[in-house]
Parts: sequence; C-alpha cells; structure tokens
Amino acid sequence: MRAGETLRLLFRGPTAIVAAAVLLVLIVTAFLGEQLAPHDATGTDVSNRLQAPSADHWFGTDELGRDVLSRVILGAEVSLRVGAVAVGISLVAGVLIGLLAGYYGRWVDDVLMRLSDVLFAFPAMLMAIAVLAILGPGSTNAMIAIGIVYTPIFARITRASVLSVREEVYVKAARSAGAGDLRIIGRHVLPNVTAPIIVQTSISLAFAILSEAALSFVGLGTQPPDPSWGRMLAEGRGFVEQAWWMAVFPGLAIFVTVLAFNVLGDALRDVLDPRQRQAMAGTGVTA
Amino acid sequence: MTRYALRRLAQSVAVLLGVSVLVFAIMQLVPGDPIRAALGQQADPETYQALRDRAGLDDPVPVQFVTWIGNAAVGDFGVSFRSGETVLSLILERVPATLSLAVAAIIVALLIAIPLGTLSALNPRKPVDWFASLSSQAGLSVPDFWLGIMLILVFAGTLGWLPSAGYVPLTEDPVEWARHLILPAITAGVSSGAILTRFVRSSVLESLGQDHVRTARAKGMRARDVLTWHVLRNALVPLVTVGGVQLAYLLSGVVVVEYVFAWPGLGQLAFQAVESRDYPVLQGAVLLFAVIFLLVNLVVDLAYARLDPRITYRSAR
Amino acid sequence: MGADMNRGKVRGHAVALAAIALVSAGCGGGDDVDLDDPQGSGGGQGGDDQGDGQSGDGGTLVAAISAQPDQFDPHKTQAYASFQVLENVYDTLVVPDAEGEFQPSLATEWTTSDDGLTWTFTLREGVTFHDGSAFDSADVVYSYNRIIDEQLANAYRFASVASVEATDPQTVTITLTEPTPALLDNIGGFKGMSIIPEGAAEATDLATTAVGTGPFTLEDAGANGVTLARYDDYWGDPALVDGVEFQYVSEPAAALTALRSGDVHWTDNVPPQDIEGLRDDEQVELGVTPSVDYWYLAMNQTKPPFDNRDFRRGVAFGIDRDEVTEAARFGAATTNQTAIPEQSRWFHEYAPFEHDPDQATQLIEQTAAQSPQPMALMVTDEYPETVQAAQVIQAQLAEVGVEIGIEQEAFATWLDRQAAGDYDAFLLGWLGNLDPFGFYHAQHVCEGTSNFQGYCNPEVDSLLQSAAGETDQDARKALYDQAAELIVDDVSYLYLYNPDVVQAWAPGIEGYEIRADKAINFETVRLPE
Repeated sequence: MRAGETLRLLFRGPTAIVAAAVLLVLIVTAFLGEQLAPHDATGTDVSNRLQAPSADHWFGTDELGRDVLSRVILGAEVSLRVGAVAVGISLVAGVLIGLLAGYYGRWVDDVLMRLSDVLFAFPAMLMAIAVLAILGPGSTNAMIAIGIVYTPIFARITRASVLSVREEVYVKAARSAGAGDLRIIGRHVLPNVTAPIIVQTSISLAFAILSEAALSFVGLGTQPPDPSWGRMLAEGRGFVEQAWWMAVFPGLAIFVTVLAFNVLGDALRDVLDPRQRQAMAGTGVTA
Repeated sequence: MTRYALRRLAQSVAVLLGVSVLVFAIMQLVPGDPIRAALGQQADPETYQALRDRAGLDDPVPVQFVTWIGNAAVGDFGVSFRSGETVLSLILERVPATLSLAVAAIIVALLIAIPLGTLSALNPRKPVDWFASLSSQAGLSVPDFWLGIMLILVFAGTLGWLPSAGYVPLTEDPVEWARHLILPAITAGVSSGAILTRFVRSSVLESLGQDHVRTARAKGMRARDVLTWHVLRNALVPLVTVGGVQLAYLLSGVVVVEYVFAWPGLGQLAFQAVESRDYPVLQGAVLLFAVIFLLVNLVVDLAYARLDPRITYRSAR
Repeated sequence: MGADMNRGKVRGHAVALAAIALVSAGCGGGDDVDLDDPQGSGGGQGGDDQGDGQSGDGGTLVAAISAQPDQFDPHKTQAYASFQVLENVYDTLVVPDAEGEFQPSLATEWTTSDDGLTWTFTLREGVTFHDGSAFDSADVVYSYNRIIDEQLANAYRFASVASVEATDPQTVTITLTEPTPALLDNIGGFKGMSIIPEGAAEATDLATTAVGTGPFTLEDAGANGVTLARYDDYWGDPALVDGVEFQYVSEPAAALTALRSGDVHWTDNVPPQDIEGLRDDEQVELGVTPSVDYWYLAMNQTKPPFDNRDFRRGVAFGIDRDEVTEAARFGAATTNQTAIPEQSRWFHEYAPFEHDPDQATQLIEQTAAQSPQPMALMVTDEYPETVQAAQVIQAQLAEVGVEIGIEQEAFATWLDRQAAGDYDAFLLGWLGNLDPFGFYHAQHVCEGTSNFQGYCNPEVDSLLQSAAGETDQDARKALYDQAAELIVDDVSYLYLYNPDVVQAWAPGIEGYEIRADKAINFETVRLPE
C-alpha cells in the first residue's frame, strides 16, 4: 500500500482527523511551551496561592501560587518526550528480540520468549516502580522503566509476524539463493512485519503517556518543580476540596492526549492491519 | 490434553522460578537499606549491624536466594523486615480487600461491556456503534487515578453520598463494605469494561454471521429471542476468557487505584514493600501475582482449547 | 513515619534536687478528670459496641489515625502510628505530663545519689499486667536488658547505663558511668521504653500482641484497624470509655467526613490547609498547639563550597523563613532559627538571620565554586512538606546565585544517601524531642551518631559535653544556649520552623488533652451523651 493511499484511508472518518489535529496542536505546544505559557511555570508566589480560575489565571493557581495553565502547557513537552522515548526504547529492543526469536526459532526463541513470559507475569506498574526504585526517580529513568515494561509486547507482536512471514515463498527463495541472515531479515522479513508494529507503536504511545503520569502521580517520575501532568495531579489531590482546578485540568490534558493516540492507533489498525483488530486489545497495560 | 497441561504446568514453574530470580535481582540492585529504613533516622550503628546479621543480609546472594527458595517451597515466605509479621499473614490479611475490589470491578466492567457491546454490534456503523466505540476509547484513555479523584470530588465531596476512601470488611458491616466499594470498583472497572466492550461487539458480530443464527432468523424467530438464545450464548465463551485475563490483572493489585482510595489491598502492600525495601514482602507478593497470572492463563488456554477444537495444543500460546 | 519519636524533657527540678526523694500522688496523668466509676457500673466489661451508642456504659471511642502501625513491639517499632496505639496499652517507669514534667507512673518515687551515678526507683505496688501476672522489679530489669542486650532500636538511650539491677521486688537500681541528667527522659520520654513482663518476648509474639500494664488491652489488630478494651484491673483510675477503636484512614477528607458524620470521634489526620476551614465548623472541635518537632535544612559540610561557613551563612540569609513556613504549613507553624520551640523552658531566643538577599548574594558570590552555584536538595515524599518547602527555597535561592536541583527520594534511599554522605543538602525534621540533649547533642557533636552533615566545632563539642552531664538546671540551660548560638551562627543546621500539632475531635468529647509531644492518651476521655 502506498503512503498516500494509506493516509487517504486513514482520514476517511472525522474522528481520526480530529485526533490528528489534537496531536498536532499538542506537538506544537510541546515545542513552543515557553513562548505560549502566559506566566512563569515554576516561580512560586505563596501570597497568590490556590486562586480560582480568573481572567488572569484561566486555570487558577496551585498551592505554591503557580499558574496552572502555564504548567499544563509545559507539561505537554514532558509527557510527549517521555512517551516517545519510552516507546522508542521498547520498539527497538522489542523488535530486535522478536526478529531474533521469530527468525531463528528453536532455543533462541525458547529463551527469549520465556524471558518475556517472566516480564509479563510481573504486574506492569509494579515492574516500572521497581525499575525506578533501582534507577532513582526522574523523567529520564521513567522513560527507561516504561521502555522495559513495554518491550515484551513489541517482541511478541514482531515474533508472531515473523513466524508467518518466515515460511513465505520469497523468504525461502532468498535463502536458497544464498542470501545471508542479516540481508534476509533486513530486506525481506522486516518490511513485511511493519504494519502491526506501527499500530502497536501508536497504541503504546497512549499507554506510555498514561504510565508516565501514573509514575509521576506516585512521586517516582518527573521531579519537582518541573511540571508533569501526573505530578500536578498528585499535588492537586491534596487540595481537591479547596481547589478542584488543580486536579481537573492536568487530568483532562492526560485524557485528551491519550484518547487522541488511541483513536489514531485504532484508525491505523483498521487501515494497515484489519485482522489484528481484536488480538491486541487485551494486552493494554495501564496502571 | 493432559500432556499439554503438564507441559504448560512445567513451563509455569519455570516462569515462577524466573520471576523469583528477577525479584531477587531487583532487590540486590535497589539502593536503600531495608534495615536503615526500618530503624529510621537515628539508626544506632550496633543495632543496625545486629539487625542486618539477624536478617542474613550479609550472606552471599546465592545463599540468600537458595535459603529463600527452600523456605518458600515449604510455605515459609519469611518475615517482614518492617513489622516482624510473617509475609503469609500480611498477604492473607490483604486478600479480602483485593478480592472484593477485583470482583466488584469485573462486575462493573461487564455491566458496561455487555449492553454497550451488544448494542453496537446490532447497529453496526450507526451512531450507536460510533458512540460505543468512542466510549470504549475514552474508557481506555482515562487515567484511572484521575477518574478516582474526580469521582471522589463529585460523589464524596460535592454530593456527599459515598465515602471518599477506606475499606470496611464485609464481615464487619456489609452495607458500609458496599458503600466503600462503589467508587474504587467503578474506577478500576472502567478500563476493563472498555476492553471487554470491544470483545463483546466482535463476538456478537461474529455469531450473528454464523449459520445457525441465520437459520433461526430465517425461521422467523423473534429478534430478541435470537439474540438471547443464540448470539449471546455464543459470545459468552470469548467473554469469559478475556474477562478471566482482566480479573487476573485486577487481582494483581491495581496499585494506583488502591493508592488513591487508601484501599488496603495487595497492590498497596507491594508498593509499600518497594518503598520501604521490605524484600520478603515484595518477594511474596510478586510471587503470588505471578501464580495468579499463570493460573488464569493456563485455565483460559485450556478452556479455549477444549471449547474450540480448531485450536491445536501446540500453538495455543 | 520514619523519623524518631524520642526524647522526654527532664523537667529540671527533679534532678536538681538530687538525692531528695520525689514523691507524688498516684494516678499520673489523670489530673483533669477524676471521676468515680463511670455510671457506677463498677468495672463493667468492655463491650464491643460500635461508635456512637452509650447504652448505659462508656461506649467505644473511635479514632481515625492516618497510618497503619507497622508492629506492636514497643521496643522495636519506630512508627508513630504504632506509638499512638501503644501509648494506651503500655506504661513506662515515669511519664511526661502535658508540660513535659516527669511524673510517676510505674515508679512512684526515685532518688539520685550525690555523684549522680546511682538512680534508685521505687516501684508501684499492686500493678498487674494484662495477662494477670504481677509487676515487679524483675520485669523492669528484663525489659531494659532486652533493649540493651539485643541492641534494639532504643539501645542508645542506655549508652551511659552500666547496669540495671533488682535490689528487691519493689526497687530497681540503675548505675551509670557518667551523670546523666536526661535519664528520666531516656527511660520515660516515650513508650519505646515500655515495661513488658519478664520473658514476654520469648513467650508471645510481641509484634502482633501486647502485654502491658496500661489502661487498655490490645484486643484485635487487622488490615483496617485496632481494637482496645478497657483494662479493669488497671492500677490507676479505670478508663471512662469501654474501649478504643483505631481506624486507619489515610485520606484526610475521609477522616473529616467520618468525624462530621459521627462515625469517628477523634482524628489527627488534618492537613494544615484544612485548618482555616475548620475553625468555624461547628461539627468539629479543632485542637492546634505548638509541637516539639522542628524542620531544618542541612548542607554537606564535607563538600565544597558547602564546607565554607560563609557560603552557608549566605544561604541562611537568602531564605525567607516566613514564606517557606507559609508554603509548607499554611501558617500552622512558628518560624524559628533555633531548634527548641518557644513554649519549652529550654527555649533560647536567638534569630541572627534576617531575610537579606543582598548580603546573601554577596556571601555566596565570594565563596561559590561557580555562578550560579548548583546545589542538589534531597527531599522525601515520606514527608510531603519537605517537597513543598524545597520548591519555595529553590525559587528564593535562585535570586541569590544558588541553583537548586530537587531530588525526591524514597525514604529508604534518602536515609542511605544521608548515611553515606552522598548529597549536597537535605530537608528533614526531628520529631518528639523534649530534652535539649535530644535537640542538639547527637546532631552537632563532632562524632555524633546523627551528625550526618559533618559539622565539627570543638567549642560546641565541649559545651555540649559539659551540658550533658551538668546537673544544675540553670547552668545546663546556659551551656545549651551558648552551644545553640554557635550552631546557628555556623549554620550546622539551618533551622526553619516548629510545626503545630493539629487534631480534631467531636464536639462534646471531654477530658482529652492535646500534647506538644503528640502522645495521644484516651485514658481520661469521656464520650458525649
């Protein structure tokens, strides 16, 4: 399928267009954060704390007098960066493992897949918490932790696709023509397993952003005073009765972002990989 | 079948062993000394060393591991560094709370998924379907901890109908038990409900397309009867299995939901064990989660294989 | 809670009048309410009625505490939640009253030899443990030796104790290696020094059960709460309520809702930001009183430029304590540049640091290794107020040339890094101190076990050492005052504030006393009709 046609199919419906538009806005926000924010997002002003939304502070102020809108805007960059890098890690590691396991089979497959079984049997959130306990809290380490947690999913999806491609005529032909393993994997196997991987990438981005928020929520992700949506929620939780705006707006931001990735991921799946529509829905791991 | 089951069982034991090794490795790598954590700020050097010796923390790691495995094999999971209670009793103490929450959350999930999924399958590509699909997306996307806070804000704060957090045992006061359960169950159940909705939709769609349903329809059976007798019954099988997987996930402690609602469940226990470096407790809890996960998967796979003869045992996993 | 509950204040006179027997009438603590048997029901067995009902007896007091006790062994636990329960179950030889003065408890009188090295305690007669066995000197010797021999968490409190001996069944003699004016605090400052029956640690599992001499027995403990029942053979006046039920409610909003609806009678889970709203709330009785805790910032004095006194003084001038206190405590605290709070007899008024950004900038500029000077500030979510304070301090110090990087760690890691000296600076508090020895000694003598910041000033050392053995109270205070001034001037600790104790209870509860050391005792409490 050519790229142009894929895009045309992808944006048949209004939901995918809206989702893509939301993501575009988010990405722009992430890049322009500092310029867009109406106030200083980290400077404290205790005398001005817990102000309700007003013309000056659209989303109100938090317990240290910081502008919630500015913090939500700057939080976009944190969420997207952590999500993207984390998924990047699991994508590279998972696809590599999946290719090796699927292509070579036998003991390589057995060892790698049993390892991923072990990771799977470990509750995802707890695994991420444990990894962060080792590495220490912080957004860089959160990326690594989330990356590790989502690696087995990519490995399994890649392996499954490789297994079905491995016996295809063109692969066998290449092998009998004396092509090396690397060449076969790079030229013939990988290009034919990309569709499910692309779909999984989009969905994983959604879950990775959720995970980052959850980890920051329990104090292990992004460190103060950096604005992360999860962290803002955690701070807002103690003030729900006095200042609902502290918890409502960052939560909405997470929700909208994750929803956009999910919707787009679903639309991608419909176009690229209709058969997979079911199979992966159950593997989503949230907090 | 038996051979397959045995093979799977052996694999499960291997995975459990792997999980134990992994937890042990994590414990070695995590900074933060459990004894210092238990003693607090004013740890006296002599006291500190005495406690370390008692806990065997200065033994070589393999020795610690073998000792642990040996004891675990006979049901002795050790004693918490923090409280001095046995790990087993700490875990058992938490089981009723976790079980209550998991079962209630699955019920919430089914209450969402069955009507929504069925409606959407019966009206494919109509507004209802579109709405159902968007709701399911939304359910998957909403951060559960935020949903929890919002529910507390509205139902416990503004309206004051329900308690905002805490747990009351069923045996103590059934009414309070239920009241405390509602908000956490909804919070934990929504994402499972979103996942299950998709399954219900597709299995209803699939079974609508099956021959005997078409026949029944052709014979002039009323639409509602067809739905209940044939379609839903067929759709139930995949639902039970996916529901089982979701239940396993919920039983493994929904850490953050428990955190928000101060729910004294297994997830909290494990989280606190990581925070206070209470290794015996963490080890015990994770092992339990792994056992639940593997058991449920095993049962699901076996059930599937039994119900659907097209699946061969070899490729079931 | 990881920080320590320790220290009791040796309230001067007792020790000053060494060798003179101090006798005080029985029932310690029961000063407010002194009533005969409740409802004349003479020792009616503690019922299990829930909450509100009185039904002809004392009823059950329901208390919401914010955390679950980790265990019930008084000699081993370090958790405040555990002590909230144990306070009502166990007794110590002496006990501080609300003013911090030591009163008789299991010991009725005590004498000190002229050289201050021998303390003789006369024990109360007719005391029985909850298992029915009689209390005598062997129990005291057993309890103290257990702490010393097994090197339990509080063993350091017996550092100067050479021996604990039972002279006769009603007399215990403690022999010291050096005069220790703080001894009463050491053995009675908190329930970590409780008396357990001889052999109890071997006979029962003290982590889950309790055999004390206190006004309540520990009946049942689970994942959601602890139940206590009145002990009818208690040596003092029996408690007025039939029992106490502690519930663990970690969410403040939940605790307050339960209090308003009458499901709970008492809670200490009141975050400072709620105080203002509760003052006018007629459904809630609010208790706010200064505590003996203090919070501080410490810089690593083994590391440049933090080893430079002028740099530290620059930081001290750069911090606006009022704003920090307001941010972290919503006004529910008193700023203080020394450790000991205003209300204590050991308080010394000394506040050399005015918020002065110009002077701060100058001092820091002269001494910093680079500009701006990076400084990692270690905090822990175990104490969220440190996280809030850190963010304000970060903003303040940014103005004077110090760039703070906040590092939020799990408390276990935090403690490890503190012990290893792996930090630039940290924020934390010390809780529950009563005697100045506890406030200053181990934290600031050169080889002090709690001197993690690496402070060493020989002058302070000798002042603190003499103060520790000084038996004249006024002379002792003078020594501590001098030491405190040097400690503050050198910025060994950068003291920030003394927080308030905040508790709330149902209107109509009588006989409850909110205390600076946060000990909670329900012995004399009466529920509303």
